[in-house]
Amino acid sequence: MNPYSLAKRMARLLERSVISMAFLPLGISVLTSELPISTTPNTISDIKSIEVIPQTLTLKLGDGSETFVVSAIDKDGIRRDVTSDFLLESNDIIERVGIYQIRGKSPGSATLSGTWNNHRIAFTTSVSEETDPAPLSFVRDILPTLSRAGCNGGSCHAKPNGQNSFELSVFAYDPKSDYDEIVSDARGRRIFPAFPPESLILQKATQAVPHKGGKRFEKGSLEYNRISEWIAEGTRYTTPGEAPLSKIQISPGQGRFAPGSRHQFRVEAHYEDGQTRDVTHMADYAVSDKELLAVSTSGGVEFGNQSGQGVVLARYMGHNAQVKVTIPNHHTDGTRTPSDFTETNFIDTLAANHFANLGLSPSARCSDSTFLRRAFLDGVGRLPTIAETREYLDDERPAKRKRWITRILDDPRYGDYWANKWADLLRPNPDRVGVKSVFMLDRWLRQSFRENRPYDQFVREIINHRGSNHGEGPAVIYRDRRVPTELSSMFSQLFLGVRMECAKCHHHPFEKWSQADFYQFAAYFGSLKQKGAGLSPPISAGTEVFYFAPGGSVKHPITDEAMLPKAPDGPVETELNQEPPRQRLAEWLTGSGNPYFSRAIVNRVWANFFSRGFVNPVDDFRDSNPPVNEPLLDGLAEHLVKNGFDLKKLMSAIMNSSLYQLSTNPNESNLNDTKNFSRFYRKRLPAETLLDAISDVTRVPEKFDGMPPGSRAVEAWTYKIESQFLDAFSRPNASSDPPCERDEKSSVVQALHLMHSDNIQSKLSAPKGWVASLASSEKSPREIVEQLYLAVYTRYPSSEERAIAEAAIPETRSARAQGIEDLLWALINTAEFVFNH
Amino acid sequence: MSRFNTKCNGVSRRDFLQLGLGGSIGAGLGNLLRMKANAASAPEGSSKKDINCILVWLDGGPSHYETFDPKPDAPSGIRGEFGTIPTSVPGLHFSEVVPHMAKVANKVSIIRSIAHTDPNHGGGNHYMMTGAPTPVPVSCGAVVTFHPSFGSMVSYDRGIRGGLPAYMSLPRVSRSGGPNFLGGEHAPFVVDGNPNDIKFRVRDVVLPKEIAESRAASRRDLRRALDRLPRFTDAAAKDPAVTFDQYYEQGVDLVTSPRAQEAFDIFNEPESTRDKFGRNDLGQRLLMARRLVEVGVSFVTVYYGGWDNHTKLFERFKGSFMSKLDQGIGALVNDLDERGMMDNTLLVVLGEFGRTPKINKDAGRDHWPHAMSVLMAGAGVPRGGVVGATDSKGYYASENVYRPEDFAASLYTKLGIDPHQILHKSSGRPVQLVNNGRLIKEIFT
Repeated sequence: MNPYSLAKRMARLLERSVISMAFLPLGISVLTSELPISTTPNTISDIKSIEVIPQTLTLKLGDGSETFVVSAIDKDGIRRDVTSDFLLESNDIIERVGIYQIRGKSPGSATLSGTWNNHRIAFTTSVSEETDPAPLSFVRDILPTLSRAGCNGGSCHAKPNGQNSFELSVFAYDPKSDYDEIVSDARGRRIFPAFPPESLILQKATQAVPHKGGKRFEKGSLEYNRISEWIAEGTRYTTPGEAPLSKIQISPGQGRFAPGSRHQFRVEAHYEDGQTRDVTHMADYAVSDKELLAVSTSGGVEFGNQSGQGVVLARYMGHNAQVKVTIPNHHTDGTRTPSDFTETNFIDTLAANHFANLGLSPSARCSDSTFLRRAFLDGVGRLPTIAETREYLDDERPAKRKRWITRILDDPRYGDYWANKWADLLRPNPDRVGVKSVFMLDRWLRQSFRENRPYDQFVREIINHRGSNHGEGPAVIYRDRRVPTELSSMFSQLFLGVRMECAKCHHHPFEKWSQADFYQFAAYFGSLKQKGAGLSPPISAGTEVFYFAPGGSVKHPITDEAMLPKAPDGPVETELNQEPPRQRLAEWLTGSGNPYFSRAIVNRVWANFFSRGFVNPVDDFRDSNPPVNEPLLDGLAEHLVKNGFDLKKLMSAIMNSSLYQLSTNPNESNLNDTKNFSRFYRKRLPAETLLDAISDVTRVPEKFDGMPPGSRAVEAWTYKIESQFLDAFSRPNASSDPPCERDEKSSVVQALHLMHSDNIQSKLSAPKGWVASLASSEKSPREIVEQLYLAVYTRYPSSEERAIAEAAIPETRSARAQGIEDLLWALINTAEFVFNH
Repeated sequence: MSRFNTKCNGVSRRDFLQLGLGGSIGAGLGNLLRMKANAASAPEGSSKKDINCILVWLDGGPSHYETFDPKPDAPSGIRGEFGTIPTSVPGLHFSEVVPHMAKVANKVSIIRSIAHTDPNHGGGNHYMMTGAPTPVPVSCGAVVTFHPSFGSMVSYDRGIRGGLPAYMSLPRVSRSGGPNFLGGEHAPFVVDGNPNDIKFRVRDVVLPKEIAESRAASRRDLRRALDRLPRFTDAAAKDPAVTFDQYYEQGVDLVTSPRAQEAFDIFNEPESTRDKFGRNDLGQRLLMARRLVEVGVSFVTVYYGGWDNHTKLFERFKGSFMSKLDQGIGALVNDLDERGMMDNTLLVVLGEFGRTPKINKDAGRDHWPHAMSVLMAGAGVPRGGVVGATDSKGYYASENVYRPEDFAASLYTKLGIDPHQILHKSSGRPVQLVNNGRLIKEIFT
């Protein structure tokens, strides 16, 4: 096969997959790597076996064709689709009508065989007699057709209030109301039984009359004919004896696939009466990772050139199926890039397994300077001082990094840095809840992290909190989120990493959480009561007390049934008596039997150090968004639980791993690895850290209104404390709902601010600043340059750098300040300063 | 290893600069930007991508009675203290306190029939600044964002042109003027300070006062020479430092472009022009806004609050509070017209709602979202147009009634942005930019 441009193929594929894009932005990867693509194995002897899917073909005459797929599996377990070159031996009962399509020719059953490159495989086949076609059913035949045409996508007729007064449930979660909407509403205009082609539903979909959603299918297409016949048959909701759908299945199952290749999948619907049906061409598809994978509307999956793991999802009538796929690196031909990766602790062992599976070689170990800078910035959000850097670089004793990690995590800055991270997540809009309330939360957060409160205890204090918004503590969360459903959405996302918000309104496509799950979880907060002065924005200064009192139920919005509290996958709380249900929730949440809790916090902490989590976004755990290297995530979660939810111990394990100490420099195998952590990924310093770093290296503290002199940016407790710098570098704005994720991208505004802001210039030229003091000192240019490099970059300058930098410092004393100022300006304007690397 | 460059200057800035200003001497900046923008976008409708917008935000909700929709025949408890004056459009009358705007009525359209149902500042701000109602009631004092603002969306759609932030806001960001899920890079660039002040400078886009141009250039040279972090230029490596470089070079282009620098300096404007706009903060901000769109900023918000006149409305409107707006908008319209900028500038003047018909006991008017007036001009908006009407006493928009969604769809369409496009939140959830908005057809003739 000729090499081809995968990008082009994917672009074509994209055009075809408009319909399944209606929900997930199934965009196609930017595959810019120019590595050669091999789609067939080098030698046939690599192949160990071939496999036909399905292993038994059951066909009925007159029933159309069935999807079949042939895979070849090589010695590394890598599967390739060889259907197009598969030769079916001549027989009387079936025939091929397309690469992936087989149709019955005459009744009978037999064991047939076929060959691919001298590999022979047998499979059983039976073809039954033609019978009268079963009458069409809305549930079984029509709704899948409409879903497939994209009619009930979240941005079409399934958006709130529908589109043009025609409203369907999102992804067909409520078939009955969809049926009524089509058959009965709009005074029956949508259906015209006397002459089906006149039905509005067909005219709109074929754009015979103007349709904002465009043409969904052609007149005379399979879809058109099916709907038309169904109308002619009298628009049955279900047909007599119709068995409900019990599950769907996607095959081939979990496996390894060749990079740059394509493989067809087959989706089968299983009904409660034991019948099955090929719905490959009726299902919707999505992939977990658009950079690794793309899927067509007919279930053909393209594997990109990046190595990694992902999930292919199929959805059919409210049922989901998924398959985990692994794409190993191109370099799995035995010549792996050599690596000096040493397995320091369990993290490294699990990482090494993962790399071996994907054919990735980790980057080299980072230098001592890089490590020290990285560890300080990630651990406590500040740069090491010159003295610390010198001491560290001169330290010749063994286990240097290990000892310094302990020292860094004991730094007093730890509390503010980590409290600030949690403030991003917990801090409400002060306009809404009052500034004092926000301040009292802030104090509690900082205290919690200063004393390294165990994480389970920290969460229990939030969940069980009672008392006033004007006492130190998290009461303001309850002042802000006043109804049970708001609390349950927030807490499930924060503490379980499960976004249940969608389930508030509809059953989530591709997900397992139902509406009932959502309201059951909310029911834990039904008995939470407030008294006192409620919200009165924009001042909202009132005092309010939160407490437990029995009574107060949460009802399911459709069934109106009062829900008993239950956590997702947790027990139903039936015997509550006088005990606040929140307490039960807190116990379940932080209990060792709950797998979500520890994984969610591990993922957040991990993302602090590695730029991204195992799961991204960090609070979006779901089956359709699987973690990279799940065993490692689980291993860390176990470590955390075993160590009594001590976050510092978790961080220490992470920072001591060789994985954390990898260089950012890629090697031949991992240049395009951007998610498996086989190299360290650069990240821009967060707004507060960067501002504090600039204040530190200029030795001019920032002035904040309403905060004591000398306060650091990391101590700012509300976005209302004005700072152009912090705004430019995207500190979260608590007035945004939902709270914005902290944005760590660069922008031109940031560049302009670094370059030209009066504030930074005034720090450089301040009479009491470091530049002035260096200029007036007796230090030689050589000493000054060395100090600047140690302070800004945590390293000594190279001889070449020394030469350039020293030349920038004039001999004349009066001009010295300006020269040093320019030098420091230049250093803080480089990527080496702005990034953690 | 050849797959990534480890040299200090490994990044070829020209690879990334698509709309750079560097080397544009000779070609007018505006033209260059226009040319490049045309080249970059689809031929159809490409000219709309050159239309920039000035949005004047009258926070608090200006009275429609005392501006563009007076009701001289209503009872005095509704009519208010002021009389009406004829405008330059025969038969069209404004309140007597806006004589300058009355004179330019023949260059603008007034929409008198936008109505919604959110009587709170927080909710109203959000509705009229984003085109989306808040999903939950939002009380008056609150600052919220649930949906991207117009300016942020324009920034998202057009991106950075010539190193210029696409969305600027003077002198502060309006309440719901943020990017929401579009991300921090589309937040407005706030130009604070008072351009009427002798020491005024646009922050960050010009050199700090004490830094001469030659010194800035030598600083940049020094920086370039000392920049040693290797860059991994292969796009597959997704090196954020490479993105940082792109933005940095755009910023350098901006500060080294004489034309851009001239634009930022309001003191280059002739005294006579500055006087026309009014020697006050608002007048000079409006002038600054014109200079910014002229140089290629896509969307400029001028925030002018203080319209929540529950008390002493008439007293306030007799004074400079109203005359600054009246003079400034009048001058801006004339200025845009004289400079031939009407075709590629959309001017919008509005607040979050109108005011109650009945004058309250404190000689004020309260919140009233059922009727409000919006001034629009340029970008093909008819000159001398009046869209819709309220009933005879000004209670309700009664003819050709439009909703904020319609206003939003029209604004986006004028700027060449598809209002019905689907955006995705980070959760993957699809969101329509404007939900079911239809165009205000009278401004598309």
